[in-house]
Amino acid sequence: MKLSALHQSYLNRRLNSFRGSSPLDSSIDGGGLKSPASIFWLLIHGLCCLISLLLGFRFSHIIFFLLFSPSTTTITRTTKLYSPTPFLPIKVPDALPVQSPPNKTLVSSSRVVVGRHGILIRPWPHPDPVEVMKAHHIIDRVQREQRIQYGVKSPRTVIAVTPTYVRTFQTLHLTGVMHSLMNVPYDLVWIVVEAGGSTNETASLLASSGLRVVHVGFEEEMPVSWEDRHRLEARMRFRALRVVRQLKLDGIVMFADDSNMHSMELFDEIQRVKCVGAVSVGILAHSSNPDEEESSVAQKDDIENSPMPVQGPACNASDQLVGWHTFNSLPYEGKSAKYIGDMATVLPRKLEWAGFVLNSRLLWKENQDDKPEWVKDLDTVGGDREHIETPLSLLIDPSVVEPLGSCGRKILLWWLRVEARADSQFPARWIIDTPLEVSVPSKRTPWPDAPPELPSNETTITIEENREKQQVMKTRPRRSRRSRSKRKRETRVADTQVSDRNSGEK
Amino acid sequence: MGTAERSKKKVQVYKKAVFHFLLCFVMGFFTGFAPTGKSSIFSSLPVLPSNQSAVPLQRGELLLEEIPEESWKFNTTLENPSTEEEKEDEIDGLIPRRLIILVTPTRMNDKLREVNLRRLSNTLRLVPPPFLWVVVEQKSDSSQVSEILRKTGIMYRHLVFNENFTDPEVEMDHQRNLALNHIEYHRLSGIVHFAGLSNVYDLQFFDHIRDIEVFGTWPMAIVSANRKKVVIEGPVCDSSEVVGWHLRKMNNLTETRSSPVHISSFAFNSSVLWDPERWGRLSSVQDTTQNTIKFVKKEVLEEETKLIGIPPEGCSKIMLWNVQIPTGTTPNNSVPATLPDSGQR
Amino acid sequence: MKDWRWALVGLVCFALVLKIGAVERGRGQPTERISGSAGDVLEDDPVGRLKVFVYELPSKYNKKILQKDPRCLTHMFAAEIFMHRFLLSSPVRTLNPEEADWFYTPVYTTCDLTPNGLPLPFKSPRMMRSAIQLISSNWPYWNRTEGADHFFIVPHDFGACFHYLEEKAIERGILTLLQRATLVQTFGQRNHVCLKDGSITIPPYAPPQKMEAHLIPPHIPRSIFVYFRGLFYDVGNDPEGGYYARGARAAVWENFKDNPLFDISTEHPTTYYEDMQRAIFCLCPLGWAPWSPRLVEAVIFGCIPVIIADDIVLPFADAIPWEDIGVFVDEKDVPNLDTILTSIPPEVILRKQRLLANPSMKQAMLFPQPAQSGDAFHQILNGLARKLPHDQSVYLKAGEKVLNWTAGPVGDLKPW
Repeated sequence: MKLSALHQSYLNRRLNSFRGSSPLDSSIDGGGLKSPASIFWLLIHGLCCLISLLLGFRFSHIIFFLLFSPSTTTITRTTKLYSPTPFLPIKVPDALPVQSPPNKTLVSSSRVVVGRHGILIRPWPHPDPVEVMKAHHIIDRVQREQRIQYGVKSPRTVIAVTPTYVRTFQTLHLTGVMHSLMNVPYDLVWIVVEAGGSTNETASLLASSGLRVVHVGFEEEMPVSWEDRHRLEARMRFRALRVVRQLKLDGIVMFADDSNMHSMELFDEIQRVKCVGAVSVGILAHSSNPDEEESSVAQKDDIENSPMPVQGPACNASDQLVGWHTFNSLPYEGKSAKYIGDMATVLPRKLEWAGFVLNSRLLWKENQDDKPEWVKDLDTVGGDREHIETPLSLLIDPSVVEPLGSCGRKILLWWLRVEARADSQFPARWIIDTPLEVSVPSKRTPWPDAPPELPSNETTITIEENREKQQVMKTRPRRSRRSRSKRKRETRVADTQVSDRNSGEK
Repeated sequence: MGTAERSKKKVQVYKKAVFHFLLCFVMGFFTGFAPTGKSSIFSSLPVLPSNQSAVPLQRGELLLEEIPEESWKFNTTLENPSTEEEKEDEIDGLIPRRLIILVTPTRMNDKLREVNLRRLSNTLRLVPPPFLWVVVEQKSDSSQVSEILRKTGIMYRHLVFNENFTDPEVEMDHQRNLALNHIEYHRLSGIVHFAGLSNVYDLQFFDHIRDIEVFGTWPMAIVSANRKKVVIEGPVCDSSEVVGWHLRKMNNLTETRSSPVHISSFAFNSSVLWDPERWGRLSSVQDTTQNTIKFVKKEVLEEETKLIGIPPEGCSKIMLWNVQIPTGTTPNNSVPATLPDSGQR
Repeated sequence: MKDWRWALVGLVCFALVLKIGAVERGRGQPTERISGSAGDVLEDDPVGRLKVFVYELPSKYNKKILQKDPRCLTHMFAAEIFMHRFLLSSPVRTLNPEEADWFYTPVYTTCDLTPNGLPLPFKSPRMMRSAIQLISSNWPYWNRTEGADHFFIVPHDFGACFHYLEEKAIERGILTLLQRATLVQTFGQRNHVCLKDGSITIPPYAPPQKMEAHLIPPHIPRSIFVYFRGLFYDVGNDPEGGYYARGARAAVWENFKDNPLFDISTEHPTTYYEDMQRAIFCLCPLGWAPWSPRLVEAVIFGCIPVIIADDIVLPFADAIPWEDIGVFVDEKDVPNLDTILTSIPPEVILRKQRLLANPSMKQAMLFPQPAQSGDAFHQILNGLARKLPHDQSVYLKAGEKVLNWTAGPVGDLKPW
């Protein structure tokens, strides 16, 4: 009773906006008693605290409704809370100012005034950054919900296999594949097999992805001929498949070459595979040499105006696999690249690995009994010298392949192989050696149409990449006498001179 | 009872209790302003909650930050590696970041347009919000670009134009102008960067350009298929101060039009476009010319003091590559026309 | 000690009561499935519950007008045409007027478009008058009730007030001859002279085939926060500003054009329908009238409608839980739109989206050809059926006249 009085009184006080607590005149029985009673006391005390908490919570709602609802927005703005009470938005239409409590429920008067209205423009013009983040949070949540509702149910792990090696285009290509994989909304393991042994360079790039990566070194160096490269890559993929078997990874194995570009639908589509699936690969056989263009425009037109070649499963009208679309290399006869970096079109194999996906359980050593008989054991194929063109070699009966992507009609990934020349140099880890001696302040931006200014301040720096065996590309400040002598000219010309001279030196 | 001493003690006890209650009350009071689902421990759950809403509904009251996170975990129990990230995401989810506005012009007869668009969108999908992608395209019957964009889930604006162009560079500039006009008209406030379709980005790049106050620039690498060279363009810095420029190699004197600073190697605060006074300048785009892109280039030139190098630690790290792949339709001048060094093999 | 316990119990009870109050206040609305009356009502089958007699009018009241301007078929007022076609082949139609519960006069009053496609209401009152004159002299049923068991479809801006400017419409009021009839109209605003009790508010016509052709799969991620395409200022008709949309649309533009979350513009892109499907919120501000086709589009495309139109009466509000699927923002709160929308808890948004995904609600917004069960035609019939039986007081005594045939502006009294 007394406690209730206490509460009552302080409820009242609360309503008087928390004025200082006046000492209470009521007393407690055995306030400082011994153990059992004091424990009980503690409990009561705690309980009351909890009740106060709840009351406060309730009270805040009431306050919120009675007083602040018209100015809710200001509250949320100032308190920067994550969001106000859940009641607000639903009640938005009813949240009328206190001054006019009899709102819509009163039939007699409409609050709508006919005639001209002012255009309300708030004094704070720019979007509140916190609200922007909240909105993005909402968008994110909605998209997630869409995935849950309409996406693949109980998805399997995606096991991506990528052969790679350190070269100029590696960072670019690998970054592209990495970003695709980072977007995959499913569990993912990325097995990266690196020719020439695993390097820190590759490892640090892979680490930046935050994905589950298995980085495997492969002792052999990547050969310079395309033919050999294809062979080695096939063996690297087999190495990866053995990793899958070793770790007993359960999921869907896909071959994501670092020169592939993926549509995100691919990752949904491959979830449908039961054993071995095939998707269509768009082949972007680029013409290689711009200089060649004028000389063989007519020939080129044939190739380039024809629709993009596609590799993949061929289906009949009733969506049955009847064969394969393979790459027709005839138009490229004699013009294809033989070496990495050749000035010619790089051609794909007849069927690229990237167009296949398989259930990783097919690779496991155990459960041989479950394994369909049309699958060969991993050990019997892919010996060191044997060249495996496609994963089809794993199968005794290739007709069991499941065509994916509306039976191959949908292209879900692309194949584009471009490399710099094999001897191309690039800054290690893509960090430029900034020469320390460049301390002369250059306050002139080299825009071409800008008038040349005081030449003494002029600094031009060129990068000399033409070194052959140099691991780290150097940046050399060209503050040489030579460029100084050209200072009346545009910097661009000066630079041309420099590079000419350099090639002359070689 | 009755003795003064005792009552005094009691009063003290009461004071303490009242203080506690009051404290709890205030706590509860403020919790009330917090986001809750239908928050109450006494409430029964909704009849047909899809499971992810059920969890936060119960907990909302006590653990504010955990609402989204909990539901996230619930939804994606499989995503072991990413949950940690998500957790962090949710916690700093409300830390405001500056808007990045990426402008991407696309050419109709670029054979790699669709593929590159998909690849770039895969990268941009990973850029933390707020982020706005302005993609410009010539009006056409095909809906390919819109379809690709739609599937990305990125917040984008798709602008179309009707004019026909013969010179691809002029067309690119027109498209960029169109995008800048959109930004200016809407007075969008953020960091504007021109992202060509053939650009490849390190994700750190996007963190760094948010730091730009007015103008920022960075080195970028231009890598070409079947070449020996990697061309670095952009600034040379002393910490974040720009002290010089890497110059592009030009053996071909006909290339007078192309500017030494690559269109993708700088970014600027969009308010430069529509709020010149803020940066202590009298001229705005409207006063000078219709050609906004020209204006921007000029501003970069004039405002060298406001130009910072990215990343701030000496702008030595390359986070942006431009891949040049000859497809037969790419303009000639975009590929350095050097002959291969035949002495190699 | 005993006192303490009692006090405690009392307190707990007190807390409980407050708590439950909070819960009820918070929930209040039904859960995901449209429970209770609303959902059931949408799936009602009107067949067998009412009989409608369709007057046979000379073709100059309907078919001829349509022949003159086929654009009327795709206009947002086309409900009057399609309702006519629907009723002709509907099982609720009766050829025996004696057993009819409702009488329908097929007159296309809004099919008079300017070269730009804007409807002109100036001839509509005279046309309506002429049609009523005709039915009242050829059949005995009008005079029996003076229209109380008749319904008319008047899908104009301000319904049977027949003017597109609100002030003029209010001045005119509902056409005298229609004051006893049941009006089926798109216009709906509480306490407005152009909306009388018992009217049925219907959605405007939106082309169902065209919308269906632009449907994209539901998994396409929604990446626009707020979407709006349309006018902000109607400079042509409202040069001073402040009349059009009561300034609300102008306020939307002025406050949010610089907000990247607000994808708002006057340009209508070819991907308009697709863009709505990848937006979370679609603004449905009032224009000259409080309603707009965006309401229909938003529901069809699962985009949460943000309704900015004070006191709007929404289509089939007795059957569709608009409060649950939409967000209502007062016109005066437009400057806070961003705060209001971003403070909606994600759970609430997801729930609204789940409700919006309900196919029966989408169906109720459309006038498909041919009609499908549960569509807007059926909802109109449902609404009419719920008004049955007619109150005996509507039947007039022999010779009794209520309507004043000579009331109204002189212009309206001229023969059509």
